[in-house]
Amino acid sequence: MSYLVAHEVSYAYPRRGRAVAMPAVSEVTLAVERGSFTGLLGPNGCGKTTLLKMMAGILRPASGTVTLAGRALADMPRRVAARHVAVVPQDTHPAFDYTALEIVLMGRHPHLRPTQLEGPGDLTIAHQSLQSTGTLHLADRPFTSLSGGERQRVVIASALAQQPDVLLLDEPTASLDLGRQLEVAALLRRLSRENDVTMVMATHDLNLAASMCDTLALLRQGRLLHHGSTADVLTETAVRQLYDVEADVQFHQASGHLTVTPVRRIG
Amino acid sequence: MIVDGTAPAALPSQLPQSPPIRSRLALTIAGFGALAIASCVLAPLVGSSSISLRRALDSSIPFASNVDAQILFIARLPRVLAGALVGAALASAGVVFQALLRNPLATPFTLGVSAGASLGAMLVIILGGTLAVGPLSPVPAASLAGAGLAAAIVYALANGPRRVMSTTVLLLAGVTLNAFFSALILFVQYLADVAEVYRATRWLMGDLDVGSFTPIVAALPLIVIAGIIFARMPSALNLMGVDSDSAAARGVDVAATQRWAFFSASLATSAAVALAGPIGFIGIVVPHLVRLLVGVDHRIVLPASALFGATFLVISDMLARTLLAPVEIPVGIVTAIIGGPFFLWLLVREA
Amino acid sequence: MAARSRSLIARLRLRHLRLRLAGSISLPALRAGVVVAAVAFVAACRAAEAPSAATEPRIVSLVPAVTEMLFAIGAGRQVVAVSSYDHFPPEVSALPKVGALIDPDTERILSLRPTLVVVYGSQNDVEARFKKAGVATFNYRHGVTDAILGTLDTITALGAATGHEAQARELVVRMTSNLDKVRMAVAGRDRPRTLLVIGRQPKTLQGIYVAGGGGFLNEMLEIAGGQNVFEDIKRESVQPSSETLLRRAPDALLELRATEPAGNYPGGDLEVWNTLASIPAVRNQKVQALVGDHVVVPGPRLAEGAEAIARALHPDAFK
Repeated sequence: MSYLVAHEVSYAYPRRGRAVAMPAVSEVTLAVERGSFTGLLGPNGCGKTTLLKMMAGILRPASGTVTLAGRALADMPRRVAARHVAVVPQDTHPAFDYTALEIVLMGRHPHLRPTQLEGPGDLTIAHQSLQSTGTLHLADRPFTSLSGGERQRVVIASALAQQPDVLLLDEPTASLDLGRQLEVAALLRRLSRENDVTMVMATHDLNLAASMCDTLALLRQGRLLHHGSTADVLTETAVRQLYDVEADVQFHQASGHLTVTPVRRIG
Repeated sequence: MIVDGTAPAALPSQLPQSPPIRSRLALTIAGFGALAIASCVLAPLVGSSSISLRRALDSSIPFASNVDAQILFIARLPRVLAGALVGAALASAGVVFQALLRNPLATPFTLGVSAGASLGAMLVIILGGTLAVGPLSPVPAASLAGAGLAAAIVYALANGPRRVMSTTVLLLAGVTLNAFFSALILFVQYLADVAEVYRATRWLMGDLDVGSFTPIVAALPLIVIAGIIFARMPSALNLMGVDSDSAAARGVDVAATQRWAFFSASLATSAAVALAGPIGFIGIVVPHLVRLLVGVDHRIVLPASALFGATFLVISDMLARTLLAPVEIPVGIVTAIIGGPFFLWLLVREA
Repeated sequence: MAARSRSLIARLRLRHLRLRLAGSISLPALRAGVVVAAVAFVAACRAAEAPSAATEPRIVSLVPAVTEMLFAIGAGRQVVAVSSYDHFPPEVSALPKVGALIDPDTERILSLRPTLVVVYGSQNDVEARFKKAGVATFNYRHGVTDAILGTLDTITALGAATGHEAQARELVVRMTSNLDKVRMAVAGRDRPRTLLVIGRQPKTLQGIYVAGGGGFLNEMLEIAGGQNVFEDIKRESVQPSSETLLRRAPDALLELRATEPAGNYPGGDLEVWNTLASIPAVRNQKVQALVGDHVVVPGPRLAEGAEAIARALHPDAFK
């Protein structure tokens, strides 16, 4: 069942002084199935972050609509939409010294009235979210004192505290080392399986996408090139189309998923 | 702890079942509120001359001839109330500006509102205007107008239609306007007579001796309006303080919150400066001290700063009028002497 | 003895004859010579009077009080430029304005070819500049102690510097006698404790400046039969708080203003003082405003100023 759907959405960032704005996303239609783990792949500047923001409701599409379970996102109050869709941004740099628990509790905001304070139930959900990302022991630590991997897991916990149906992640492992990457990857896979959270992840790491996603959407220069199951979409032709790179795509027995090994650049 | 694919264990049972925010908020308001009330009660009893409290409260003596009562109710009480109002306004405006600019070093005067207010006051003091605006003397009225002008210019520069305000542009516009208005102030002083220059300079040092309740009553509605707008913002400020996109995704109208924050904080600052002149350091020292004590959650920091700001200024003014009695130190100098070294210490600590 | 006197007379007669002879030939020449000598003598005297070259004195004054003095001692015709804050006597309105304490336009002043420039005592660098240009300067110093005496001394020194000693002396005598008249008119009367307000933000009680126990205002008040309520603070101006004013409780309150502020109504905004109801001056309605340069400029009209204050404090002494 298509749960989160972007219909023919387009967006162009306004450029100061230039008469014509540069289009970031052009007429992309993307239907995300409930329970799936979709990867948005493409080179830098292909529009995956912009598409993600439109699907989260942060940006309003210049044309086209985004629907959630059939209802247009634009018709819903942001608060209501936020109870179903949560966003994990690429980097989080708080301006003030919040603790991990305070940041996770902010995920309860869509469920509270504007001036309502969190109650015991909210606190329990926050603790559970921290627990599920393995960061409960960091609850009272200042966020800025945590390592990169710990921070990312706290931010994911914060998004989970929203109790969303869909989690949109923007390059969640971009700034992490190999070990932390696998940590976060395992976490996300588990959450997807056990908590029934639909995941959409923008990334440029092909191998990561191959290991985590069952569905892939390929974007280049704001346009959707392919959308389908990982096995169908992740081909050498696709890699060449996206990155101008000749690569070797193989099923890797030990890891259990496709791997992409770059061979050389074309052109 | 390495996270593998296994499900987490059940939550440990020794976690607090009740969220800390409610009890912390109640405790903080009670504590700072008590401090504020205590200082407002104590301060009128202290002054450059000693008064007999019994005589002052003796209702059998006609008020017009009761010197002690006159000193208590006309000279000291308005001063203390003005101090509490201005202190609360500047401290809370400081918190909001710091959230808006995502910078704990911002002050209510960073964006040029105070410079505009000072320029307005300067022009009237030096050009000798006597146009009154209702119950307001011309100097506060001109000061308010100048502040409004500065805020309007900064707002116009930093705003696009339905676009999120760029904090960079906001900061640059504000700092530039600050420098520009400060230069104009110096120029106006240069053209003025020596006596007027001295009076103008004295105004810039801050003066809580407002002489009656009228100026306070005039400034009160503005500060109350700002306070009402402040009351609905702390949660949104928290979310925006972590990440702007996440805040938007969670239902915060970031652009609208920024505009309301700018408007209300500028309003509070303008009213405070129009009432008592630009008294510095409250807007930065008080929020920082409060954060050191209660954490950074704006829902606690904002009300606590308002209360502590009131206390801070009332006590500073008390010191200002008693330390070197009968000579009175301008209150802006006292807050600077306390605030300056503290601020330097803060910077050293951060480094 | 007779023979000697006879020969003396004879010798004189002879000389007289010779002179008469000489005179009949060169008397016109002699007369001309005498006229020339007389003119030369007068010119030399003039040159000795004038401070510099043999031209008519040209004076520039940067100090309004001194400008008044110059006109009062008859040197008014010699004033070629005044300060930006001058407006008395009326003749100054026609003269060019060349700045004052902070911003004297030295170029413009020099272009007017002055022979004497009156500067403030603190304008050291400006004074040095004029000295380098070969222009004489008159240094005006404002005193806090014995201020009135200082003003009279200034007038005397000004007279010497401009060659109007006689008129200066006359003015000093006149001022001294007028001040004495005021003193005598109020002698023996009770001296009310007086507050002299010299500045205040309009329509409020904020930013109040009063005359302290030093300076010419305080001395004028004393001559006028009043006692400064801030006599103990030996400064020219004091900025008291409301509390201090209530505590000092003056019996009389005078606001001194140079000009009536524009748009003001008769009586001004003195009603703001009603807030401090316990002050005797307010209770007994002894709050007044005195307007005019003569009460705020330490110049030739000091005696008029003192009289104005005396009339305000002791109206019945001048019936």
